[in-house]
Amino acid sequence: MELAYYPGCSLRASSEIYDLQCKRVLPAIGINLHELDDWNCCGATSASKMDDFLAIAMPARNLGIADASGYAELVIPCSACYSRMLVVQKVLESEKGILNEINGELSKKVIGKTRILSILEAIGPVASSGELAKSVVRKLEGLKPACYYGCMLTRFPYGVPVPDSVENPQGMETILKILGATPLDWSYKTDCCGASAAVNDNETSIKLMSKIMKDAIAREANCFVTTCPMCQLNLDAYQEKVKAAYGIDRSMPVYFITELIGVAVGLSPADLGVGRHFVDAMALLRELNLYE
Amino acid sequence: MTTVLEFRPDQASSLAAEVMARSGQNLNACYQCRRCASGCPVGEETGYVTPDRLIRMIVLGKKEAALDNPLVWKCVSCLTCGTRCPNDIMTARIVDTLKKMAKDAHVPPLSPKVAAFHSSFVAAAKRLGRLNELEFMGRYEWKNTLQALTKFKFHEAFEEHKSQAGLGLAMLRKGRMHFRIQKIRGKQEFRRLIKRGGEQLAKSPASQE
Repeated sequence: MELAYYPGCSLRASSEIYDLQCKRVLPAIGINLHELDDWNCCGATSASKMDDFLAIAMPARNLGIADASGYAELVIPCSACYSRMLVVQKVLESEKGILNEINGELSKKVIGKTRILSILEAIGPVASSGELAKSVVRKLEGLKPACYYGCMLTRFPYGVPVPDSVENPQGMETILKILGATPLDWSYKTDCCGASAAVNDNETSIKLMSKIMKDAIAREANCFVTTCPMCQLNLDAYQEKVKAAYGIDRSMPVYFITELIGVAVGLSPADLGVGRHFVDAMALLRELNLYE
Repeated sequence: MTTVLEFRPDQASSLAAEVMARSGQNLNACYQCRRCASGCPVGEETGYVTPDRLIRMIVLGKKEAALDNPLVWKCVSCLTCGTRCPNDIMTARIVDTLKKMAKDAHVPPLSPKVAAFHSSFVAAAKRLGRLNELEFMGRYEWKNTLQALTKFKFHEAFEEHKSQAGLGLAMLRKGRMHFRIQKIRGKQEFRRLIKRGGEQLAKSPASQE
């Protein structure tokens, strides 16, 4: 499968390991990535709080680049980027006036023909066709992940078709079962970690994360798995603070879905940056004999 | 804080009309079932100003309260309220609209840090076309420091820097912070585009996202 690829700013900075994993792991399961030429920031959630036009214009330039890329589908691993691009594509479908105004400035015009995929939608066909199962060389036995979707994979500020259950998504569970893991049912999979509140309203965010951690621990999960770089960074970097503030005595590594697929298909965790987490993410893999 | 709401017919229709136009949300559809309130993750932090209360404030014309209440600044944009609303009212978009209306009306933000966060993000992203986390956080901390110092809150400024420096060092050690600058080549096109400012958008308010 040949897909256009939009990494977004996080994947070139604090979540560089996610970019690295996408580029190594996805080709290993038959998905080749072609990075969009000269993509720009999507504006994330901040642009829509500051300036309505900016919030549409920033993703729109990327949509134009994607439409000119020659690829029918575009995968966007970051949940915030995915949500913004999907929403703006939908808005521009009905707002021809704004579309024309934007296209008037763009060298690569927005046509709206590129299908936008989350990382789970990109991996989905490989999973359902049985191809993923064939690539697995190391079953993730003993891994009991709490799959954490956060907000932006299933909830959108504008009516777009949601490819998974809104309240109880299963995209990650489906993949992890194929890898031999035992994903658990739990109640906080789509609850909010606070996102930017971790920076600008830390106490609130720590409280939200404590609820997420307590439920995952009560269900006897031994790790989190996520697809969102913001969720991953928050649950990982602030975990010690959450534990101290709310009397939680267990640590939980927070994996990206890509690193677990990588381990299962035989890539080295060290090469995937698993050692660059805040909460030790190598220890559990060693304990389960998934890494020597 | 429970706000006693009174009907202000002189303000009601104009306030509701403006919020509805700018947010694209039909506030009149709200029948106060409070499904939004029960799912709101920050409902406990907002002095019980939940999405349903906020809508009520607007419908009753309480402009000051609508522009200046904890929900507008505590909302984490999780979109749970709007996703569960039986009448498809996306309150998070109302909250975003109220933030912008508060700014237009020069109402000082209840949480200056939240306002500083978003304006720093947008300023940094607009400058080079991509977001550089160090530039963004630098702008943000600079605003916070100024804010604290002008109010003589020296200890607060110190604590903020201490905790951010701690996180920064940890990120550096884990190879999760970078000093290289990312920027786009098509900066001119990008700047022309964002300067347009949306003439069409102003003409079709219902489209606003």
